Amino acid sequence: MSKVSNEVGARHPPGARYLREFGKPVPRERGDFTWVYLWGAPLRIMHWVAALCIVALVISGLYVGRPYFATTGEASAHFLMGKFRFVHFTAAAVIVMTGIVRVYWLFAGNAFERLPALFPMSPRNMRSMFKVMRTYFNFQTQDQPHFVGHNPLAQWAYTSVYLLMTVLVITGFTLYGQSAPTGFFYHLFGWVPGLMGGLQIVRLVHHALTWAILIFVPIHIYLAIRADYVERAGIVSSIITGGRFVASDDEFEDIDLAAGKSRPWPAE
Amino acid sequence: MLSPSAHSWIEGETLGEHLEEHGVSRRDFLEYCAELSVVLGVGSALAPKMAHAIEVQKRPTVIWLQLQECTGCVESVIRTENPSIGDLLLDVISLDYQHTLMAGAGTAVEKVKAASMAANKGKYLLIVTGSIPTNNDDMYVMIGGKTARSVLEEAAEGCAAILALGACAFWGGIQGARPNPTGAVGVRDIIKNKPIVNLPGCPPIGDTVTATVVHYLTFGALPEVDREGRPLFAYGERIHDQCSRRAHFDAGQFVETFDDKGAREGWCLYQVGCKGPATFSPCPIFKWNNRTSWPIEAGHPCLGCTEPHFWDTMTPFYGRLPDVAGFGIEKRVDTIGASLAIGAAAGVAAHATMTVMHQIKRRRATDQVPEAHENAGENNG
Amino acid sequence: MAKTKLVVDPITRIEGHLRIEAQSENGKISQAWASATQFRGIELVVQGRDPRDAWAFTQRICGVCTAVHAIASCRAVEDSLGIKIPHNANTIRNMVLGMQYIQDHVIHFYHLHALDWVDVVSALSADPAKAASIGKSISPWPGNDEAHLRAVQLRVKKFVGSGQLGIFAGGYWGHPAYKLPPEVNLLAVSHYLEALDWQRDVIRLQAIFGGKNPHPNFLVGGMASAINLSQATTINAERIADLAGMIKRAKTFVEQVYWPDLVAIAGFYKDWGSIGGGVPNYLACGEFPETDVYDLKSLYMPRGIILNNDLSKVVEYDQTKVKEYIHSSWYDYSKGPEEGLHPYEGETNPKYTGPKAPWTGYLQDEKKYSWMKSPRYEGKPMQVGPLARMLVAYASGHKDAKELIGEALKKLNVGPAVLFSTLGRTAARGVEAVLLANKMEGWLGDLTSHIKNGDLATFTKDKWEPSSWPKKSEGYGYVEAPRGALGHWVQIEDEKISRYQCVVPTTWNASPRDAQGQPGPYEAALQDNHPLVDPDKPLEILRTIHSFDPCLACGVHVLDAEGNEISSVEVNV
Repeated sequence: MSKVSNEVGARHPPGARYLREFGKPVPRERGDFTWVYLWGAPLRIMHWVAALCIVALVISGLYVGRPYFATTGEASAHFLMGKFRFVHFTAAAVIVMTGIVRVYWLFAGNAFERLPALFPMSPRNMRSMFKVMRTYFNFQTQDQPHFVGHNPLAQWAYTSVYLLMTVLVITGFTLYGQSAPTGFFYHLFGWVPGLMGGLQIVRLVHHALTWAILIFVPIHIYLAIRADYVERAGIVSSIITGGRFVASDDEFEDIDLAAGKSRPWPAE
Repeated sequence: MLSPSAHSWIEGETLGEHLEEHGVSRRDFLEYCAELSVVLGVGSALAPKMAHAIEVQKRPTVIWLQLQECTGCVESVIRTENPSIGDLLLDVISLDYQHTLMAGAGTAVEKVKAASMAANKGKYLLIVTGSIPTNNDDMYVMIGGKTARSVLEEAAEGCAAILALGACAFWGGIQGARPNPTGAVGVRDIIKNKPIVNLPGCPPIGDTVTATVVHYLTFGALPEVDREGRPLFAYGERIHDQCSRRAHFDAGQFVETFDDKGAREGWCLYQVGCKGPATFSPCPIFKWNNRTSWPIEAGHPCLGCTEPHFWDTMTPFYGRLPDVAGFGIEKRVDTIGASLAIGAAAGVAAHATMTVMHQIKRRRATDQVPEAHENAGENNG
Repeated sequence: MAKTKLVVDPITRIEGHLRIEAQSENGKISQAWASATQFRGIELVVQGRDPRDAWAFTQRICGVCTAVHAIASCRAVEDSLGIKIPHNANTIRNMVLGMQYIQDHVIHFYHLHALDWVDVVSALSADPAKAASIGKSISPWPGNDEAHLRAVQLRVKKFVGSGQLGIFAGGYWGHPAYKLPPEVNLLAVSHYLEALDWQRDVIRLQAIFGGKNPHPNFLVGGMASAINLSQATTINAERIADLAGMIKRAKTFVEQVYWPDLVAIAGFYKDWGSIGGGVPNYLACGEFPETDVYDLKSLYMPRGIILNNDLSKVVEYDQTKVKEYIHSSWYDYSKGPEEGLHPYEGETNPKYTGPKAPWTGYLQDEKKYSWMKSPRYEGKPMQVGPLARMLVAYASGHKDAKELIGEALKKLNVGPAVLFSTLGRTAARGVEAVLLANKMEGWLGDLTSHIKNGDLATFTKDKWEPSSWPKKSEGYGYVEAPRGALGHWVQIEDEKISRYQCVVPTTWNASPRDAQGQPGPYEAALQDNHPLVDPDKPLEILRTIHSFDPCLACGVHVLDAEGNEISSVEVNV
C-alpha cells in the first residue's frame, strides 16, 4: 500500500472526477502488514463448488418450475426437461456432498470455520452487528468495528444461508423421492409432506426459497467486493488465496495479532 | 377386537361355528332368526329354515354407511367391471345396509342393520362414504334421528375393518375444505381402534373399491397400505410416473393453453396446472369407466383428488403452485421473488454508488489534511 | 280411526338424507313434512376461490346428477366474463348432459324407484315361459327370452334361499299395494340386473369427454378434450365410433326395455294417476341449446311456467321473481325470518333450533324442521323436474313430446289429467329419456360434420387469463338437470369469487312450509289424495317421494357465498 498523491484536478466535471477516482483507496500511513490465514483450502473449494452448483441449480430449477422454452416434433427425439432435471439432480447431489463435508469441517476446521463461529451471540457481538448495520446506512465506514474474519452481521447472514440450503435440500429430496415410493429418499423424507401440509406446499416452499437465494447472491457479491474496495480488506482474495493482509497496528475484535491468536466471537 | 385375518370367510368357517365360538348360544341365535324373518316379511314359520341357511352362509356381511357426502362414491362403485355390481351384490358379499340401493326404508332397514351387526359381530366389513361433521354438537347430519358420529361409532364397534371410500371419509373432503364450516373430519379422526383402509379420490375408481373387497375376501387380510392408509396396489405410485403423456414432459413439450397445438398433439399438461406430480393414484393404469379413459388422457389436468386436503393444497387447479393462504400467493410468489431479487440488485447498485461517493469524499478530506491518520474499517461482505 | 303420527327416516334409494313425517287417518295421509337432515356448508368453501375452479367445487354438490352443477357453473362464469364457447363445446356439453339424463333416468327407474312397484319375492313364483311371452309381446328385447328369464329366476331363488337378502332385506314384500303379476315382476327383476350392466357402459361417454364418471372434468370456455383425427389421445375416429356404439345401445335399451316396461307397469297402476299431484305449478328453465345458451329459441326443451295445472297457457319465466324463505328452515336472515330473499341477496346463516340428538320425538311439532330453504316463484311453490319440462313442452306445442305423450296416454286409455300425479312424474321421466335417446345421434352427427368441415375448436381462450377480466362482474348459468331447473349465480371481484348462489331442483321440490303455510311439492303431493294402508310399511310414501327422484345433497342450499361474516356486517350497519 502506498500513499496516494494529491493530484485531483478541479477542472474536471464532477462525474468524470468520480469516475477517475474510482478504485483509489483512502490513504493511510505506511505500516507493517501481516498476512492472516483465514480459510483452509477445503473450505475454499467447498465455497466455489457450492457457488457453481447454485448457478446450475437455479438455472435448471427455474426451467423445471416454468419450462420457458419447448421442443417440437417427436417426443422421443428430445429430452429437454429430462436434461434440465438431470442437471438439477446432479448439482443437488454435489452440493449435498459439499454440505456433508462442510458439516465435518465444522468440527475439523480452524477457529473461523468451526461450529461456534457460526453463532456470534454474545452481547458484544450483537452490539458490533448493529454498529456494522449503521455504517451500511450512514456510510461512515471508519466507525465500524474491525473483524479479520466475518463481522457478526455477515456471519448471521451466512448461517441463515446454511439453514436455507438445508430446507431447500430437504424439500428438494422430498419431491425427488416421490418418483420411487419404495426408495430411500421417499422413506427418509416421508415426514415432510405431513409436516408442511401436503406435497404441493413442499413444492411451493422449495420454489419460493429459490428466490431467497437469488436475493442473497447479488448482495453477497456486492458486499464482498465493496469490502475490498472500501477497506482494502482482501475479502475476495481471501476466498481464493485463503488469507488477507491486515495492518499490524490495527485492533481486531476477533484476533489478537500480537499474540498470533484468533478468538472468534469473544464473550463480553 | 377381532383381526380380520383371523376371521376371514375363506377359512370356511360358518356363522354357526363363529357365533358358538363367541359365546352366542343356539337359543339366542334362533330368536334372532325369528325376529329377522319378521323383519324380512317372510313370516316366522320360516325361521328355522332361515336359521339353517344363515348358519351355513358363505357371503360375508358388509354394512355401508353414507354420512356427509354426495353419493358420487356409490355411483362410482356401481360402475365397476369385475366383479360387476350385480355379481358383487348377489354372489360375493351380503350388503345388508346401503341407502342408495336397499329396498326398505325407515325403521325396517334400521332394524335389519342392527340385527345384521349383532349376528356378524366382529366380522363384518364396514364401508363408509362421507365425512363426519363435528361442529354444533354434530347436528349437521342426522340419519334415522342419530348424528353421523353416533351412527359411525355404533357400526364401527363390531366391525372387523373399515374401508373409508372417497376424499370425504379420508379427510373431510369438499365440506372439509377451508374454512370447513361444519367441522367435517374423516373416519380415521373419529375411529381409532379399528384397521382402516383409505380409498381416496373424488370419487375413487370403483374398481379399486371392489378390488380391495376382493383382496380382503381372497387373501383373508387387508391389503398393504402406505403411510396414509391407502392400498399400495392402487395408490403406490405417482400419476406423473405412470402418465401416458410423460414422454412429452421429459421432452419439454407442453400444453400452454387448452386446445392449442400442444393440446391437439397430446402433450404434457404440466403448464396448465396438472397435479400428477403430487398425486398418488392408479388412474393412468386402471383408468376410469372400464378402462375407457382418465382425466389426463381426456385433456384435462389432474386435480389431485386422492391427496389429503386437495381442495386447498391443489387449488387453483390451473396453477402449478398452491394458493395456501387464500390470497393468491401462488400467483405472486414469482412476482414477489423476482421483484425482491431485482430490488436487491437495484439496492446494491444504489448502495455501491453511495459508498463510492462517500469514499471519495473521505479521501479528498484526507488528501487535504495528509497528516490525518485514518483507518479503514474492516468489513467483510 | 285415530290420527297416527309416523316417521320414515332414513328415506332410502335417494341421494342424501331425507326424513318424512306424516299423520295418517283412515288409510290416507292428512299431513306431511319433509326434512332435509344434512348440511354441508359449501357456500363458505367456494368463496374467495378462482372462478375457473368453481365448476369442480360445485360439481361435488352431487355425485348422482354429477355433470349438471359443473355445466351450470361454467355457464355462470362464462356469462359473467362474456365468454362464448365454440359450437363443438356446446354440442359436447349437450351430449354429456343428454347421456346423463338417459343413464340417470334408467338408474332411477330400475334401481331407485322400481322396487316401490315391483315385488322381488313375487318374481320367484313366476312362470318364465309366460314371462317370456309377455316380454315378447311388448318388446323385441333379446333378454326377454325364456332361458334368460329362467336363469335370472334361478339366480334370485338361490340368493333368497341363502337367507342373506342383502339390499333386499327390509323390503315391504307381499304388501297389498303391489299389483303386478309374478311374470311382470320377473321381467322387471331381470331388467333391474341388465340395467346395472347397461348403465356403466353408456355413461362411458362422459369419460371420453371428461376423463371419468362420476365427476367428469369440465372447463370454463369450452371443453378440455381436444379434437385431432391424427392423434391417439384426442377425439378421433376410434373415440367417435365408441361414442356411436354407446349412443346406439342407450337408444336400444330405452326403446326396448325402459319405455315398454314403464308403459306396461303403469297399466297396472293407473290409480296412481290421481294420487300425489300436489303443487299445481310447474317451472322449467329450458335446456339443450342447439346454438348457444343465450339463444333461448334454440333450446330443445323449452323454457316456461305452467300455473294451476293449466296446459293452455305457458307463462314466461323470469329469474328475478325467485325468492327463498326460511320460515321452516334452520337458518337466520339478517332482515328477519319471514323475509324472502332473491338469490342475489341471499344469506346462509345456519342456526339449528331443533331437538338435541338423538331425535326420539317428532320434528313435525317444531316450527322449523329442515335444512332445506323454501324457494317460491312470486310467492308460489313450484314443481320442477321431468314432468315440469314435459308439461311445458307439451303446452308449448313441442312436436316430439306431444307425439310421445299422446301415444302413451292412448295406450293407457287415459286423459292428460293423469299427468298431474305420482304416476305422471314417473312417466314423464321415461318420455324424456326416449326423446333424448333420439337426439343423441343428431348431436354426434353435428360434431362429426363440424370436424369434417375443419372446425376443431373446443375452447375459447381469449378470456382465460384473469388479467383480461373486468374488475367486477356477475353472471347467471342455468341448466335443466335430470331432476329439474337449476340456476347458478356468480359474482366475481378482483379475479376471485365474491358471491356464489345456487337454486337447485330438490330445493324447489323438497322445500318445507313457508310463512303462508304453503307446503312444498313433496309435502303437498303426500297430502293430495294419498293412501297409506299400513303406517308401519310406508310403501306408498316411498312411491310418491321417489317419483320426484330426490337429491338432498343438492337441495340443501349449499352454495350461496354470502356467509356469516357478510351478513353480520349488515346487522351492524
